[in-house]
Amino acid sequence: MHQIEMTVNGQVMRAEVPAETTLLSVLREAWGLTGSKLGCDVGDCGACTVLVDGLSVNACLLLAVQVDGQEVLTIEGIGGFDYLHPIQAAFERLSSIQCGFCAPGIVISAKALIDKNPHPTEQEIREALAGNLCRCTGYTKIIEGIAEACRIPAGTDGSA
Amino acid sequence: MSEKPTKEKPADLGDLLADPRVGQLPAVTRDPIPAVQALRVGANQQTPAVGQRVTRLDIRTHITGSTRYIDDLAFPSMLYVKILRSTEAHARILSIDTAAARAMPGVVATLTGDEIPENSFGSSYQDQPVLAVDRVRHQGDGLVAVAAETEQQASEALAAIKVAYEPLPALFDPLEAIRPDAPKIHRDNNVYASKVIIRGDVEKGFAESDQIFERRYSTQMIEHVPMEPFAAIALWEPDGQLHVYSSNGRITLGRADLARTLQMPMNRIRVTATFVGGNFGGKNEIRTEPILALLAKKTRRPVKATFNREDEFVASTTRHPIIMDYKTGVANDGHLIARSVRLILDGGAYASWSETTVGKAAILAAGPYRIPNVRVEGHAVYTNKTVTGAMRGFGAPQVAFAYESQMDEIANTLGMDPLAIRLLNGFTEGSISHTGQVLQAVALEETLLTAAKRSGWMEEGT
Repeated sequence: MHQIEMTVNGQVMRAEVPAETTLLSVLREAWGLTGSKLGCDVGDCGACTVLVDGLSVNACLLLAVQVDGQEVLTIEGIGGFDYLHPIQAAFERLSSIQCGFCAPGIVISAKALIDKNPHPTEQEIREALAGNLCRCTGYTKIIEGIAEACRIPAGTDGSA
Repeated sequence: MSEKPTKEKPADLGDLLADPRVGQLPAVTRDPIPAVQALRVGANQQTPAVGQRVTRLDIRTHITGSTRYIDDLAFPSMLYVKILRSTEAHARILSIDTAAARAMPGVVATLTGDEIPENSFGSSYQDQPVLAVDRVRHQGDGLVAVAAETEQQASEALAAIKVAYEPLPALFDPLEAIRPDAPKIHRDNNVYASKVIIRGDVEKGFAESDQIFERRYSTQMIEHVPMEPFAAIALWEPDGQLHVYSSNGRITLGRADLARTLQMPMNRIRVTATFVGGNFGGKNEIRTEPILALLAKKTRRPVKATFNREDEFVASTTRHPIIMDYKTGVANDGHLIARSVRLILDGGAYASWSETTVGKAAILAAGPYRIPNVRVEGHAVYTNKTVTGAMRGFGAPQVAFAYESQMDEIANTLGMDPLAIRLLNGFTEGSISHTGQVLQAVALEETLLTAAKRSGWMEEGT
């Protein structure tokens, strides 16, 4: 068993975990942060995306011990029912999301992009979402939502 | 009732595109969302909500990660269940030995098919075992369920189960499976659901045609791949009621299947539907629910099973691959005179929703076109492959691919614009469908013209 400690959404969290425990399972099962989802368990779908020291990562592929001492931001630390992040507000306005299972990971990937690049092109938005799959709505309204959150004019780089 | 194609070939598509009805749909806008007015719906009046932008009721919890999907639920002392699946496509089961698995760390109970009161289910034919007992018919068939303190312990215990098989000849091609001498997968006939539609006289129609077009089209097997894998939880309430939480999208059917498989009155079973993280037809039947109910009873603890991605691919359903033979007779002016279609649906190892799928595929197979002579036959065939069932459209996308491909080929050979041949033959208001239905509110022509205008189809250089 390993003692781990990390800052999650601004709060210091501790746990004792077997070595094989993933960051995703410690977030979901030990700390009850179920906003990050287990979709594929092999790093393909991005439903488990969180930020570790500002970088977007698949929490299903990282071991909890690898994140010891680092800073983690999950969907629960971005907005809440009464205080939406601009990305979330835009998704709500445009109905960008249908079943919702991919939404937490997509909001996190979009935040990672905007934090570094507040005025991304549409192409940059698409690249930032390369690790996130959605099976319901397609990506159009998701991309439009992120663009709207950044208030960039649509189609600035000429792509569809 | 036969309907003569009466419409003339349009002389100039430009005239049609100038039709004032074209392009009247509102353009996509980023304008502020107007407030929805209070609903006061009169008799036969369109609700004022139509055309208004509204906010999805459930979206705010989705985007904040606070929606509780089934995998976000847990109960005190809950056990986790994993299922051992067949390694053989078609085999007799000689023996199943779970003794070593039961002695593994964390394992609380196992379950085999012979412990299930009525070990069969299915939406039209109950031909699918919940857990296979004497025979496996595809590699996804479940054999043994293990309940353990952790998911990992349950997975590890699966490796300790010994199964002895006697392999049987397996069928992977539905065209082989329909041969009279093919090995039989269930009963004495591998064809288990058929639909035939006849209108007019296709042979006479072909004789009257100027040209005949024949081609085979085929589509592949597709998995729904919902973002959320299938999951269920079962527990027994203190008053003896069974309570099942499930991501099943058809809980009333699920409840009936539970009552049947468990041989319990339906009013003792409560099924709670959780938010579904994508269904697309792949969560329309029970999967693990009876197993979990029995393991919960055995262990007196809540039990949960969440499919991993592999379970999802091999043990849920998929979209039917269809082999589609099309023959169409046309006049040189582009009018369709006769069309015959034969559909062979790869039904996989069990019936699932094949009866519905073969029906819908056959009904739609001739396409939305006025054809006086039509003959369609569709057959769903057992193979030793992943079960095929409901998926968006129930067979409609497969036949659309075939008939629209053939329309393009006909247009190309006749030197016609692909849009023109569709406008010439397409259903219009009052057209009679291939199954004899008088169609109302037909907007095919308007839709095609709007799409042509918006996409720039008629512009030069496209």
